Amino acid sequence: MAEETLLLLKNIRTPGYTGDLAAYQKAGGSKAWEKVLKSMKPAEVIEVLKASGLRGRGGAGFPCGMKWSFMPPPSDKPHYLVCNADESEPGTFKDHLIMLNDPHEFLEGMMIGCYAMNSHHGYIYIRGESQHAIKRVQQAIDELYKAKLLGKNILGGGFDLHLTVHPGAGAYICGEETAMLDSLEGKRGQPRSKPPFPAQSGFDACPTTVNNVETLANVPFILNQGAEAFAALGPANNAGTQCVSISGHVAKPGVYEVEMGHNLKSLIYDYAGGIRGGKKLKAVIPGGASAGILRPDEIDIPYDFDNLMKAGTMRGSGAIMVFDEDTDVVRLAERTIRFFNHESCGQCTPCREGTFWLKNMVRQFMDDAGDEALAKRMERAAFQIGGTTICAFGDAVSGPMMAFVRKFPEEFAKHYAS
Amino acid sequence: MPIFYLNDKPVEFEKGETILKAALRAGTEIPHYCYHPGLKITAQCRMCLVEITDMGNGRGMPKLQTSCSTPAGENMKVSSVSEKAHWGQNLVNEFLLVNHPLDCPICDQAGECDLQNYAHRYGTGHSEMAYEKRVYGWRNVGSFLMLERNRCVQCSRCERFSRDIVGTHDFGAFLRTHELTFDTWGDSEITHKFQGNLADICPVGAITSRDWRFKKRAWKLHKTPTVCTACSTGCNITLEHHENRVFRVKPRENQAVNRWWMCDEGRESFPVLNNRRERILEPQARVKGELQAASWDAIEKAVAHRLQEIGANGAQVLGLTDTHATNEELFVFKQLLSEGFGSDQLYFPYRPGTQQEKPPRYLADTFVYSLITTDKSPNTAGALKAGLIGDEDDKRLKAALKAAPKVVFILGTPFVNDVAVREAVSQADLIVAIGTLHNPWVELADVVLPGHTHGEKDGTFLNKAERLQRIRPALDAPEGTRDQVGILASLLALLGKEPAPASAEAAFNAMGQQDGPFKGLSWEAVGPQGLPLGGAKPAQATA
Repeated sequence: MAEETLLLLKNIRTPGYTGDLAAYQKAGGSKAWEKVLKSMKPAEVIEVLKASGLRGRGGAGFPCGMKWSFMPPPSDKPHYLVCNADESEPGTFKDHLIMLNDPHEFLEGMMIGCYAMNSHHGYIYIRGESQHAIKRVQQAIDELYKAKLLGKNILGGGFDLHLTVHPGAGAYICGEETAMLDSLEGKRGQPRSKPPFPAQSGFDACPTTVNNVETLANVPFILNQGAEAFAALGPANNAGTQCVSISGHVAKPGVYEVEMGHNLKSLIYDYAGGIRGGKKLKAVIPGGASAGILRPDEIDIPYDFDNLMKAGTMRGSGAIMVFDEDTDVVRLAERTIRFFNHESCGQCTPCREGTFWLKNMVRQFMDDAGDEALAKRMERAAFQIGGTTICAFGDAVSGPMMAFVRKFPEEFAKHYAS
Repeated sequence: MPIFYLNDKPVEFEKGETILKAALRAGTEIPHYCYHPGLKITAQCRMCLVEITDMGNGRGMPKLQTSCSTPAGENMKVSSVSEKAHWGQNLVNEFLLVNHPLDCPICDQAGECDLQNYAHRYGTGHSEMAYEKRVYGWRNVGSFLMLERNRCVQCSRCERFSRDIVGTHDFGAFLRTHELTFDTWGDSEITHKFQGNLADICPVGAITSRDWRFKKRAWKLHKTPTVCTACSTGCNITLEHHENRVFRVKPRENQAVNRWWMCDEGRESFPVLNNRRERILEPQARVKGELQAASWDAIEKAVAHRLQEIGANGAQVLGLTDTHATNEELFVFKQLLSEGFGSDQLYFPYRPGTQQEKPPRYLADTFVYSLITTDKSPNTAGALKAGLIGDEDDKRLKAALKAAPKVVFILGTPFVNDVAVREAVSQADLIVAIGTLHNPWVELADVVLPGHTHGEKDGTFLNKAERLQRIRPALDAPEGTRDQVGILASLLALLGKEPAPASAEAAFNAMGQQDGPFKGLSWEAVGPQGLPLGGAKPAQATA
């Protein structure tokens, strides 16, 4: 197996690492938090983050430092940092790994983020099914309170901070930041119409920033080693390392940490051990269920935000799903659209009705009753969902469904009515 | 005011105003379902998609934008008719019809349904959706409402109305994806008094009114703008009628009175206009203790004769009126008493109104609850302004009745439930009752003169905030009836006096020329939105 570039998973890959606060501090943890509290102003932290070029790992890849700088100056309204640990994108399981095995790493990043954005209360929104992760993160927070790294007047620096774990109720859409904020407020999780953006009016209509677990886990490294050390990793505009969740028909599925811009083919063959059972590769979904599918001849590309965008798909949350030659792409499309149809919040017309219609069309193929016109109609309906909805869910349906039809017409042809 | 360009035409907007709102004000239609001017914006139906080719800085928006939620900007260039915008409107309509039952032939909303109209205007006219649709049942959700969830377009107006306007939170969103449905919590019934508004704001036939169900096709209705007479608020309404029958009442927007809403009591007040069974249809006079029909001529002659016989004047002549009478009727009635008999004895039941409904706690804007008052008549303020005599305990009337009046004129049904008043009045030598429906006064009266209902006559009312509003005749009055102003004027003419104005318009203009509350006003000045009298309180203030 090829070597990983260990930055986030360094502790986790250390044999015998327990993940509690003592072990974390022994491995050099909590230093960034102390350094920030004692010697840095909030604006300086944001400058460092900006210089590092860290981009959000949740899916959209928005520059983290810039997001933090959108927060308004302190006012009478409380500011919030919410950590999005919903991790609902199918195929993604890297946040789980971090939360279960090294929770202090991302918690430290979150604490630094709170300090940088003058937030005295942070929420960690973990999906309700992940009881083990909820327990583990709560344990870690209790440890921090005990060590007086959280609470009132932390380390005598006059800064108060509280962190709260909030279990979600298990809806894919609650991974969308505004739907998550609604859910956090106790409402039905439905994406909000933007503007206003969360930085103006988020949780409880107060300025709020939402960050992914992996994004926050990068923060301690950046403040310890400096923005340059981080920016030196990966290609331009795609700094740092990434935790890639590889699943599907590979010999060794799992989370692998590599530099940004690592070759996608190499990820599958060198890290994940190639296709299971020595079979041939049929397709790769490179960024979770909402990314467009790639054919085997398209995967020899650098795996980062910009290059996958150029290839007409997306890096998303870094979830690579690999499918061998025995896969029926139509069945894959059916499974995908069934998921999206089930998870659409129903708010916007195109997504609500479009996913239902698409599901029925794919099922017609499954019944071997398709034809070319139906494939065209599917592509058209999928296209109509993209870009016409409140949140990115519409695009998340549109992109992959169009890609299935466009890239694997021969697979659909197998299901034509004879 | 700054301008932006909609379909190449300049449109003025106020700062912060959305494209859709400015466009609607300028008279350009952009199709929409979920947007309602009285409700919070959610931008979820996606019907109002427009193309923004220039944000005012030379750059356009790559995606279509919802005009209901996008604020207009200086020099912005927006198109709602471009190919791309049409594509958006078309696709949303196509998707909306995916699960719609297309049962227009049996849907009460047909003819005034946004989905139907837009499907004609923006749809393709054919469907490629060949699969089984999601199906829900229908049921009653309140005393006033029928819920047909298959027709729902999930615009969430009902949810927002329940949450932000009435604050009862009885409608909510259930399930998600194509199964998303709006329904009452736990299948409970809605009990508040503003249910009818839910049927109004529902852009399709998902929420319809129960008493309108299967009664009439919407396009057959004639619509007469008028004012609700069920309480002293005077909500602006349209009477919707066909073949001389009123079928329903709908609120008419007036920001100074009722905004977009009205209460169910007002909506349910129209059957009285269709009541022919109890209607007094011809003039009658009591002959040997029995009321007998006669012609207007004969009756008038007889009345003139009786009045001469009795020869009453001054305090011996009494007038009683209710506060359902228009300002014009009160004016001519007063003139009849003063000029005909030298009497100023015109009494009315003074029943000041207060807000009837208590809003729920935590409701930010409780406006809608101020609409229903306990004063169930439209013109108490008008009677006060006209200088009529009235107090809450009717003490002054009872004192006047002790003096045994000889002639009593009664307009409408004042004091009708007060046995003592009825008893005292019955001792008079001549009782003339003017009314529309049978009532206890008719049993006592010597002469009964049939008048017009508020659906048949013209006139003005003063509402609780002293706003002058005009009702308009919607229905043809039955033959043999006359309007009250004319009846009162002809009574005065019988006495050989200067003729009084014989129509509402003439009476109002006469009032405008005299000292009094309406001095300087003319009939034309009372527009469809009414007119606040000087020093009028804002309509928002609760009575």
